[in-house]
Amino acid sequence: MWKYLISLALLATPATAQEGPFSEGSEARSWNLAWEEPARFEATVVDMLCEVAGDCANECATGRQLGLLRAADGVLTYPNKNNQGIFTGAAVDLEPYCGMEVEVDGLMIEDEYVGATNVYLVQRIRAAGEEEWVTANRWTDAWEVQFPEAAAEEGRWYRNDPRVLAEIEGEGYLGTGESWQEAWEITR
Amino acid sequence: MKHVITAALICAAGPALANGEEVTIRGEVIDTWCYFSGVMGGPDAVQGTAHHTCAIWCSAGGIPVGLLGEDGTVYMILSINGDDQNASGQTQLELASHDITASGRLFARDGLNYLVIDEVVEDHGITNTNHTDFGVVPGFAIPNPEG
Repeated sequence: MWKYLISLALLATPATAQEGPFSEGSEARSWNLAWEEPARFEATVVDMLCEVAGDCANECATGRQLGLLRAADGVLTYPNKNNQGIFTGAAVDLEPYCGMEVEVDGLMIEDEYVGATNVYLVQRIRAAGEEEWVTANRWTDAWEVQFPEAAAEEGRWYRNDPRVLAEIEGEGYLGTGESWQEAWEITR
Repeated sequence: MKHVITAALICAAGPALANGEEVTIRGEVIDTWCYFSGVMGGPDAVQGTAHHTCAIWCSAGGIPVGLLGEDGTVYMILSINGDDQNASGQTQLELASHDITASGRLFARDGLNYLVIDEVVEDHGITNTNHTDFGVVPGFAIPNPEG
């Protein structure tokens, strides 16, 4: 029954995004999230592990999370999500700009109840001084290069990713060892 | 909710240092985007067995993982056991939804907590069996085995 209540709660989510301190000029697309704020700002792309903990030996290397050090106030924002609606983060999209000054546009999440502040969904990026925006949707392109055989299969990446499939094979869809059939039946 | 498994115990807390505060914390390794954004429902539904498959997807997809403590505090995980692959890395992927006790260094920056895990002291496995309350989230996470 809960899954139906959750669905109803999602439908009841307000469709109009709230304005925030960096909303001016934003053309961000709403995701109909309760605590989203359009946010467009200038920032420096930084390596999170280096910026927060001083671990800079592999600064900006592939596979490390990247942040946005906002120019206006020096606040470190954490891009958790890129523009693709398929369980994908933002590091791949930001990596070409690591160490550079950029302008970004997207949605800021500010929800005190769950401790979310300065959490960002980046939708488009451009290097300082550039005219053209780049949409933050590179993740699946990079995945296809890394896993060409899986990419050739039918279906979304997350249904074919060999690492995901290995985890599900090992622990099941619920993570507690049930077979596929059992997991299906007990969650209906 | 009855199925609160993410017991967080700060067993040892040294003074705040430039290189972080030494802590030991117990909690669940979560997918932070679904937890913070509410995109799939309330916070209790986007953890545990109900959300395990999605947590795997998000970890593999490069969404930052966090440690959700008993008091609801979220610690953004920056590295685990020296593995700095915090975007799609294998170490964090294998711990998706797991209830762990971790020791490491805690940092705070602009309203978020960050954790460098120096050692996973104990992996308690997946203990939050909340699929009994929420089913599976999202509903399509488990495909129909009959096609």
